[in-house]
Amino acid sequence: MNRRNFIRTTATISIAALPLGKLNAQENKEKKEFVGVLVDTTRCLGCRLCEVACSEEHGNYVPDVKNDHALEKIRDTSEKQWTVVNRFETKNGEVFVKRQCMHCWQPACTAACLTNAMFKTKEGPITWDGDKCMGCRYCMVSCPFDIPKFEYNKWNPKIQKCNMCYERLQEGKKPACVQACPKDALLFGIKRELMEVARHRVYSYPDKYVHKIYGEHEVGGTGWLYLSAVPFEQIGFRTDLGTTPYPEYTKEFLFSVPLVLFGVPALLFGLNLLTDRKNELNKNERWENE
Amino acid sequence: MEFYYYVNIFETKGLEYLLLICFLVLFILMVRYISTSDKKKS
Amino acid sequence: MSNKAVLIGEFRKFFKFLIQEMKPRGKWLTPFNIISIPIILLGLVILFFRFTKGLGSVTNLSQQFPWGFWIGFDVVTGVAFAGGAYIITFVVYVMRVEKYHSIVRVTVLNGLLAYIFYAGALVLDLGRPWHIINPIIGNSFGYNSVLFLVSWHFLLYMIAEFVEFSPVIAEWAHWEKVRKFVSALTLGAVIFGITLSMLHQSGLGALFLMAKPKIHPLWYSEFIPILFFVSSIFAGLSMIIFEGIISHKVFKDLIGEKSHYSYEEIILGLGKGAAIAMFVYYFFKALIFIHEKQWVLINDFWGYWYLVEVIGFVLIPCFMFAYAVRNRSIGIIKIASVLALIGIILNRLNISVIAFNWDVANKYYPSWQEIVVTLMVVFSEIWAFRWIATRMPVFSKEN
Repeated sequence: MNRRNFIRTTATISIAALPLGKLNAQENKEKKEFVGVLVDTTRCLGCRLCEVACSEEHGNYVPDVKNDHALEKIRDTSEKQWTVVNRFETKNGEVFVKRQCMHCWQPACTAACLTNAMFKTKEGPITWDGDKCMGCRYCMVSCPFDIPKFEYNKWNPKIQKCNMCYERLQEGKKPACVQACPKDALLFGIKRELMEVARHRVYSYPDKYVHKIYGEHEVGGTGWLYLSAVPFEQIGFRTDLGTTPYPEYTKEFLFSVPLVLFGVPALLFGLNLLTDRKNELNKNERWENE
Repeated sequence: MEFYYYVNIFETKGLEYLLLICFLVLFILMVRYISTSDKKKS
Repeated sequence: MSNKAVLIGEFRKFFKFLIQEMKPRGKWLTPFNIISIPIILLGLVILFFRFTKGLGSVTNLSQQFPWGFWIGFDVVTGVAFAGGAYIITFVVYVMRVEKYHSIVRVTVLNGLLAYIFYAGALVLDLGRPWHIINPIIGNSFGYNSVLFLVSWHFLLYMIAEFVEFSPVIAEWAHWEKVRKFVSALTLGAVIFGITLSMLHQSGLGALFLMAKPKIHPLWYSEFIPILFFVSSIFAGLSMIIFEGIISHKVFKDLIGEKSHYSYEEIILGLGKGAAIAMFVYYFFKALIFIHEKQWVLINDFWGYWYLVEVIGFVLIPCFMFAYAVRNRSIGIIKIASVLALIGIILNRLNISVIAFNWDVANKYYPSWQEIVVTLMVVFSEIWAFRWIATRMPVFSKEN
C-alpha cells in the first residue's frame, strides 16, 4: 500500500464513519412544525361555547353562558378560566374576540422561567409543570400579553394558563375550544398552512378584512392568529409590542455573563498584583535611600 | 396595514456626543472641585 | 481513641461557649426592643396566614402586579443597599487602600446579613417555595432565565461573603488554625465576590428587560442593567455612611481608637466616591434621555415624577456630597447619604412597582401586612447584626 492510497482509504473510512447522514435524518424526523389556531373574529357570534368546552376539559370554573351577562364588561382570562370571549362595540357593529395564551414562537415566559416549568413543546403549545415551578411569577412579569395567572388564595398555588389542550393534541385531537366552535371561527392547524388560509381570506375579501394578520410577526410570531374587520387596537389588542421576540431583550445580558466571569477576576487579580508590586518598590526605594 | 419607511436609529448621535463633551468638561471641573480642598486642609 | 476524646472535649467546650454567648446582654427595655419585638411577632403571625391561606390573604398582589413591595423593596432595593461590601473589599483587598481597612469587617457583615435577610425574603414571596431547590439541583436548569442567574449568584455570593467574614468567626471561637486557613482564602473570595456582584446587581435590572411594554418608557431602557450596577455603587457607599453614623452612636464603646485614620476622614473619602459615582450615573441617565428622545414624555405627571427622582434624589445629593467633601462637613454628608438612599428606593420601586403597569386602573399599593413583614425582615436583620457585633470582633481592624 503506497502512501497516497493509504491517505485515500483512511479519508474515505473516516468520512463514512462520521454520522453526518444520520444527523440529517434525525433532524428531519425531530422537526415538527408548530401548530396554532386561526381566529376569524368576523365569524364569531359570541356564543362562548369555547369557554365552556375549555373549562370542562381542564376542570376549571364552567361559566353559565346563558345567564351570567359576562359580555357586558371586558374580562381578562383568570386563574379560573383559561379563555374568555369579549364583546367590543365598533363601527362595524359588535365584534367578539376570544382571548387566551398566544403560544408565542419565542415565548418570554419560558425564557423567564428559571426551572423550565414553563416549557415550549416541540409541537408548539406552551405547558406548565407544577413539579418544577417555584411560584416566582417572573413569567407573569415577562409575558407581553399578561396571560399566566396565579392562584393567590391557595397555599399551594398554580400558574393557570391555556396549554392549547396539549393532552388532546397528543391523542391526535383538536383543542377543545376549536372542537366546540359551531361557526368555524376557530381553525386548528400548522401555522404555515393557517397563514395561507388567512391570506387567502384577506385577498378574497379585501373590503371585509383589515390587511393584517395579528400574530404573524407580533413578538416574533405567535401560534394563535387573528383576522379582523376593524383595526386591532379597537378590539383589545396591543399593537405596540413590536416584532422582536421577547427573549432577545435579555439575550445580550446573558451572553455577557460568561465574558464578565472570564475577564473580571483576571483583571482584579492583575490589579492586585500591580498594587503589591508598587508597595514592594516603595519599600526597596526607601531601603536604598536610608 | 403595515407601513414601510426609513427610521434613522442614529438620529440623536450628534446630541449624544455633545453631551459626552459636556460631561468630560464638567467631570474634570467636578474632580478638581472635590480634590482641591483635601490638600488645602490636610 | 484519645484523639476522639479530645475532639469531643473541644466540641463540648465550644458548645458551652456558644450557650453562654447566646444569652442576651445589656438592658432589655431599650426603645428599639420595645418597637421591634411586637412587630417581629406580628410579622410571624402574618407569615403564618401567608403560608396557610396563600399570598392573596395578606398582600395586595394581583394578576397585573405579580411583584409588589416584597420583591421591589426587600429584594431589589435591599440588594442594592448591600452593594457596599463589594466596593469596600475591592478598595481594601484588591487596591490595598489601608485607609478603609477598619470598616471592612463591619461592612462585610452588613452585606452578608443583608443578603441572608433581604434576598432571603424572596422565599416569602415564592408561591411554591418548596421547589426553591429546583434551579440549584436536578434537571430543571433554566439557563435561559435572568432569574436563574440572579438566584445562583445570590447563593454563591453569600458563600463568598461568608468566607470573607469567617476569619472573624474563627477569631471569636478561638480557632487559630481555622482562622489562618480562611484568612488565606480572603483575596480569592473577594475577587470572586466582586465579579458576582457586578453580575447580579446588573442582573436585578436585567430582570425587567422583558417587561418592556409594562414599564413606563421613562424608566425602561435597554441599559437598565448598567444603570443598576452604577447606582449600586453609590447606594452601597451611602449605606456605609448611613450605617456608620448609626453604629458609631449605638456601639460607641465597641469602637476603639485603633485606626489611625480618623472616622471623619473615612466618611469624607466615601462621600467623594459617592459624588463621582452619582455624577456619572446622572450623565448615564441624561444620555438615555437623549437617545430615547424622552423629552416628549416629560410634560405630565410621570415626567415630573421622573424629574423628582433624577434631579431631586440624584443630582442634588451628588452636589451635596461634593460640597460636603470640599468643606469637610459631616453633617451635609449625612443628609446627602439619606437623600441618595431615598433616591435608590424611588428608582427601584419605580421600575418594579410604581411605573410598572402605570396606566392600569387598579394600581397596586402595599397592604399593611406587607409593610409589617418588611419591617420584620429589617428588624430581625438588625437583631442579628447587634448579636454578632456585640460578640465578635467586628469593629476591630486586625486581619
